[in-house]
Amino acid sequence: MGLLSPWWLAGLLAVGLPVWLHLLQQHKMDPLRFPSLQFFERRTQSSVKHRRLKYLLLFALRALMLVLLALLFAQPFLRRDMASSGGARHVLFVVDDSFSMRAGDGLERAKRQASSAIDSLSASNSAQVLSLSGGMSVLTQPTKDKAELKAAVAAIRPADGRSAFTEIARAAKTAGETLKVPVEVQFFSDLQQSSMPTSFAELRLPPNTTLVIPTAAPAPTANFAVETVTAPSTVSEPAKARLLATVAGFGTPAADKTVSLVVNGKTLQSKPVKLAAGGRASVEFLGLDASYGWNRGEVRIEGGDSLAADDTFRFAFERADPRKVLFLHEPGRTRGAVYFRAALEAGAENLFALEPMAVNDAANVSPSRYSLVVLSDVASLPAQLEDSLKKYIAAGGGVWIAAGATMASRGTVPLTGAKVIESRYAGRGEERFFTPGGFDLTHPAVAKANKWEGVRFYQAIKVDAAKARVLAKLSDDTPLLTEVRSGEGRILFFASAFDNVANDFPLHPTFVPFVEQSARYLAGIDARSATVQAGSFLELRQAGSKLGAAVDVLNPKGERALDLKASSTAETLRLTDEGYWEVVRQNGQRQLVAVNADRGESNLTPMPAESADLWKRTGEAGTAGDGSTTIEQKPQSFWWYLALLLLLTALAESFVASRYLEPQGAA
Amino acid sequence: MLQRFLDPAVLSSISSLDLVAKTVVDGFIAGLHRSPDFGFSQEFAEYRMYSAGDDLRHVDWNVFARTERMYLKRYRGETNTQLTVLLDSSTSMGYASPGQTRKIDYARFLAASIIYLSVQQRDASGIIVFDDDVRQFVPASARIGQLHRVLHAINLAEPHARTDFAKPFLHFQQFLKRRGMVVVISDFYADPEMVVKSIMPLRGQGSEVVLFHLLDPQEIAPKINAPVVLVDMETHDEMEVTPEYAKGEYREKIDAHIELLKSKAQGAGLDYMLIDTSRPLDAALREYLAVRQGRK
Repeated sequence: MGLLSPWWLAGLLAVGLPVWLHLLQQHKMDPLRFPSLQFFERRTQSSVKHRRLKYLLLFALRALMLVLLALLFAQPFLRRDMASSGGARHVLFVVDDSFSMRAGDGLERAKRQASSAIDSLSASNSAQVLSLSGGMSVLTQPTKDKAELKAAVAAIRPADGRSAFTEIARAAKTAGETLKVPVEVQFFSDLQQSSMPTSFAELRLPPNTTLVIPTAAPAPTANFAVETVTAPSTVSEPAKARLLATVAGFGTPAADKTVSLVVNGKTLQSKPVKLAAGGRASVEFLGLDASYGWNRGEVRIEGGDSLAADDTFRFAFERADPRKVLFLHEPGRTRGAVYFRAALEAGAENLFALEPMAVNDAANVSPSRYSLVVLSDVASLPAQLEDSLKKYIAAGGGVWIAAGATMASRGTVPLTGAKVIESRYAGRGEERFFTPGGFDLTHPAVAKANKWEGVRFYQAIKVDAAKARVLAKLSDDTPLLTEVRSGEGRILFFASAFDNVANDFPLHPTFVPFVEQSARYLAGIDARSATVQAGSFLELRQAGSKLGAAVDVLNPKGERALDLKASSTAETLRLTDEGYWEVVRQNGQRQLVAVNADRGESNLTPMPAESADLWKRTGEAGTAGDGSTTIEQKPQSFWWYLALLLLLTALAESFVASRYLEPQGAA
Repeated sequence: MLQRFLDPAVLSSISSLDLVAKTVVDGFIAGLHRSPDFGFSQEFAEYRMYSAGDDLRHVDWNVFARTERMYLKRYRGETNTQLTVLLDSSTSMGYASPGQTRKIDYARFLAASIIYLSVQQRDASGIIVFDDDVRQFVPASARIGQLHRVLHAINLAEPHARTDFAKPFLHFQQFLKRRGMVVVISDFYADPEMVVKSIMPLRGQGSEVVLFHLLDPQEIAPKINAPVVLVDMETHDEMEVTPEYAKGEYREKIDAHIELLKSKAQGAGLDYMLIDTSRPLDAALREYLAVRQGRK
């Protein structure tokens, strides 16, 4: 028995109160005056006896109440013995099927060991088979059927996830709490050090858990891997495309290796690379010649080793012509176009081609031919163009409106019809210029803006932004960049111009990512990476978007990854296997996603033997020194019984007190 | 409504004793007018020959018309007697159980009411307040202002010392000049034989004697639920008493005492009445009137 809050026992001092009341006070009976005692006789002895007996019972009840109350607050518990070594236990056969187990015959060896361990399973013990890759997968329910367990082990296939040993403790804890028996974990793994958590405490097994690691960890295995590849997801000028790969050696000696760039199965370039012992090297490839559409790229390291799967790093990219951007301006005012074009062309990927045009000449232009339309300080639009632009936006097009002095003089913003409230000029008086004051960094247009530090705005047009989402504002709270959604399309409103007159923004480096990201956003170019790690989640549709239209996903084997229902309802999909995943979205847009295993799995160095031993001992708190018994005592609170007893005592005290302590003043 | 003013608890809230007496008697008489058993004051008693000095208002002129003789018409209430109240003011009379009137207060109300009543009847009235000695003495008289003298003496009556019947009764006998009524108000914590023996000489002189035995309800039937120490108010002796005794033997003993006193008193020709201080005063007044009328 123990106490969770022993300091509450100080409350036992309160027992002194009834002691004082009963033992010290009981003889201080107030005498009552009576006219004459001539008809009374002294009966002292019997009355005192009687009285003492009654008061002793009351005193005992009151003292008991206080003791119980103090005990209740002290939260006593009993240590309940759990099953001993001779009792039943639950065995978890955990097979590590992470990416690193592909090295040599790692997984097959683990499966063989697990099968033989199942054979030696005691008839009184139940067991489960689990696999550890990216997370813990339960392959069977608790059972004593060895055939079922062995079948589950045999069905384990190499996976591409990354193992985390903290899952072992979690699984053991869950099993122990559910089945209420001691748990034994038999773990079949290569015991990679990279799978250990940063804090060893996270590995700590729950009490009464035995960890068995059947064989000693394998010796370190040298392994080369292509660690990372940085490639553009969209290529419009293949000759200018640049690709950077990092090659790493884990536990390897210094070596000369050849690294190849392969696109759609065709080796485009090969480069020699010199790797120091256990070191890394970078390789740069220039030019990504590929056909239009999505392409499958690989960077390979030649030579081979025990873990061949990480010698190849997959990436996907799309070859596409630059998207046309219509830049409308007032006749003769081309400064904005110059800066805008410069910013677009300075981007990492040459995605856009700018077509400047005076607004007078654009009456018959069809906006649908353009990915994006920019209205640079345009006073008014030809009626025909305005109509076609509205239809363009309603159909999902993007328009970027930059406001300057010309638009301010007109009084309303074209297309949105927002009213110009005022044109704010920074005068020579108190405010020489305005600075940006706040950003909505969740929006892609300004997510990489780096807060536009140092940018000075001399003129800004303040418009009614009641229905708009404010993405950036000036320090005086004037909305600087707002977004309005209309139909399926988007309109970005920039409350200043691109001409380096109303502001000096075009001269700042942050102008480039701002223009590029905003253009991508308005053009609807998906900013998601086309190369991800195994275990990542692919967003199939935005949360809250209309359901119904299906999203088709083909896994690397060419099979549909989603059933019919999931394809029309699922919002995300976990990409578990290495390879190329094809996604056909609701709007028919096709995307290729290259999935690579976590390169943390490439480091095959096992954890030190002493760490493994230490890990095994974390769950054996209840084991005696000689290892003969594993009696675990689990604290079991019995406050409920105490509370019940307290209630009964209180009722008894009330009853006795009401009987014996009636007012004596009746005499 | 008037009956409420006979309630001792109500009377306790009235500070002036003459007002108490007036309230009691007025309420009592108002009750009598509704009663068929008692006549008072207007009841014809006798004719008496006119003698010089008599009030001509009382002449029955009808009889004079028939007989040419002057007769005075007299009523019962106009028959005079002498009333002396003996009020016990011993310490035990100061007792009152919770919620009740003190016995001495009840006795004062009763004495004042009886005297007020007798003054109304033009009886001579007096008072002796005693404990173990005579504390106040106002000889019986029908003079103007007698009521206030008597009430003043009653007002001064406060519990004091122990009861001793022998000495005050001896004293009273010395002053008794003519027959009359003697009302003794006491809790009679004494030997009944000795009490009756002390009072007997008064009866022997031809006086009507009424014993009003005043007891608190708690004295008649004590309610004690736990062992308790009792202190004798007169002797200051302490005694631990059990509820069982109080419920059993004490009740038997006090009942025997009351019965003995009653039988001894009746045996000696004395009127006896046990009065519970929780009851209104009218019962005692009825007893007084009954005795007074019976004497006629």
